[in-house]
Amino acid sequence: MKQSEIPTFQPRLRVLNHDQALAIHAAALQILEKTGFKMEHPVALEMLTDAGCKVTNGDWLRLPASLVEDALNSAPRQITLYDQKGNETMPLANGNPFYGTGSDAIFTLDLKTGQRRRVVLKDVTNFARLVDGLENIAFAMSMGNPEDVPIEDIYIHVFAEMVKNTNKPIVFIADSGRDIARIYRIACQVMGGEEAFQKKPFILNYSEAISPLRFPENVMEKLIFCAEKSIPICLPSGSNAGGGAPITLAGAMALGIAENLVGLVIHQLAGKGSPFLFGPNVSVLDMKSTVVSYGCPEWSLTQAALADMRDEIYGLPIWAYAGASDAKVMDAQAGAEAMFSIISSMLSRCDLIHDVGFLEYGSTSSLEMVVMANELVAMSRFFTEGIPVDKETLALEAIERVTVGGPGSIFLMDDHTFEHFMQAQFLPTLLDRNRYDSWQEAGATDLYQRCNAEARRILAEHQVEPKTDVVLTEIDRILQGG
Amino acid sequence: MSDLKALIEAVIKGDVKSATADTQSAVDGGQNVQDILDVGLIAAMDEVGKRFSKGQMFVPQMLRSARTMQECMKLLEPFFQEGTITSKGKVIIGTVKGDLHDIGKNLVSMMMEGAGFTMFDLGVDVSPERFVQKAQEIEPDIVAMSALLSTTMPSMRLTIEALEQASLRSKVKVMIGGAPVTRKYAQEIEADCYAPDAGSAVTRAKEILGIS
Repeated sequence: MKQSEIPTFQPRLRVLNHDQALAIHAAALQILEKTGFKMEHPVALEMLTDAGCKVTNGDWLRLPASLVEDALNSAPRQITLYDQKGNETMPLANGNPFYGTGSDAIFTLDLKTGQRRRVVLKDVTNFARLVDGLENIAFAMSMGNPEDVPIEDIYIHVFAEMVKNTNKPIVFIADSGRDIARIYRIACQVMGGEEAFQKKPFILNYSEAISPLRFPENVMEKLIFCAEKSIPICLPSGSNAGGGAPITLAGAMALGIAENLVGLVIHQLAGKGSPFLFGPNVSVLDMKSTVVSYGCPEWSLTQAALADMRDEIYGLPIWAYAGASDAKVMDAQAGAEAMFSIISSMLSRCDLIHDVGFLEYGSTSSLEMVVMANELVAMSRFFTEGIPVDKETLALEAIERVTVGGPGSIFLMDDHTFEHFMQAQFLPTLLDRNRYDSWQEAGATDLYQRCNAEARRILAEHQVEPKTDVVLTEIDRILQGG
Repeated sequence: MSDLKALIEAVIKGDVKSATADTQSAVDGGQNVQDILDVGLIAAMDEVGKRFSKGQMFVPQMLRSARTMQECMKLLEPFFQEGTITSKGKVIIGTVKGDLHDIGKNLVSMMMEGAGFTMFDLGVDVSPERFVQKAQEIEPDIVAMSALLSTTMPSMRLTIEALEQASLRSKVKVMIGGAPVTRKYAQEIEADCYAPDAGSAVTRAKEILGIS
């Protein structure tokens, strides 16, 4: 009788049951129907009132659940991001986790001195090139707000710099309708025209509403622009427990989801069927230091819960974070916190996972952290892929051979081992397993030092496939204001 | 003469009922009102500030103490009106134009009030003109600005320029803060003072005014 294949179970973390998911969603709807929100963009306000929202006081609106239902129905369940060469590299669907860096850090760790210093444009260059050369980092973000570019156009400069230094998908920031339009033009240039870009978008905009329940005009400008142009966008507010949201996680999630649903409704009214990456940022405001924590277990927990709610209710791919820390240096805390969020985001199947490489609660970026995270993602991936069980992996023949074979017969020498060892095991490169003496001879390094060396190596050796001169000239023209 | 120790304890604990009762009885008992303020309420908040810096108190507890102190201050309001007692100084505070973030600003405001400053909170999205207008109206000791977005920081520079234009710059101390703000930026725009968090804002404010 032919033996059928045994499917491999892939470990999956679940943190909410069905009733919990429904209750949080119901609470979000109640916030929208009873508490309402402040809409500061007059056109968005009109769109909402035309669609059935009630104005309660000036620019305060209440939103009926039916509008939420409609928007959830029309938003696409799969969002595909392409790289800048048109390859489908990030199909966001079915809980396929993709990791990338972050934006808006003020400081960075200097690669040569290890000192924390202000970000300059060259750092944006380096982070983009590093991401381009790292296998397990799927998309790039700026990793800093440089102090050496004009601030009014900072996000355009940063975007252009990323485009020049990586071909991977880019998650970008913009300030308002003004700069997002120019960033869009650059993106279209890269793909060879607006039509080509819209077929294969390589960018996603990250904008934020303000918790609790406030929607500024410049943010709505960007939302509507992206909806109209089918540029994928996410709109997580900073609904951090104890900060912009209530201290208890369920309430913080309900509020963040409510705010996200407002964004989704407007987005679908402006561009029905346009891609919207779902989800709030629900971390905590630390009750002693008042920082928004980037290493806390709560953020990993709430996004795992959001992933469950995606599977129960929303069906849209979700935004998440991982690979960051509140530590000020890349020490054991940084490693511990980064791994906590990386493995849990993968086990809970978050879709687009950003902020890899941050220290100091998102204020300082580190090339070394990104390099470390690249390996931690690979290690986590090995774990979440589970244990394939089939004739080959059960290895009965090899066992027989080695066991009854003569002296000198060891698994290490067997063909089965030779054929399988590269797939059967996780092969670390930076996590060190050397014998003590070898480790000492090689310089007795720690992980930070090895990641530093690897970052330098990649920056020195990695070749980014360049854009054509035509495209580069056009980008510079748009940068100058053309 | 009532012992202010009970009042101090009540403020530190965040016990509004006891604290306001103690304040009222101290006033009724003829106690020196400036003492009630300085030796009682402000001293209590100093202690709260110390414990908070040492990590012995959490922010919600610190804010509850601050709110308790505020309630007691309401009872002393008539004496402020009369001019019998004075505050440590007048501070205008706001989040700059284009920026709607206010948690940090609100924390600074509460802590400075707890330290004995009289706060005038202009809210968020405050234009340079509004800062100037308020400054002309109340003649503050400090103009404090907050920003969370890098892109709104230039408004800090513009506000300082507007104060210059209105011949007010030399009459006030300008203090700035917020996540993207750095000491270097403060020096660049010639602000008088930069504070990295709400706790140090109080210390720095007292420093630049030369008071304790």
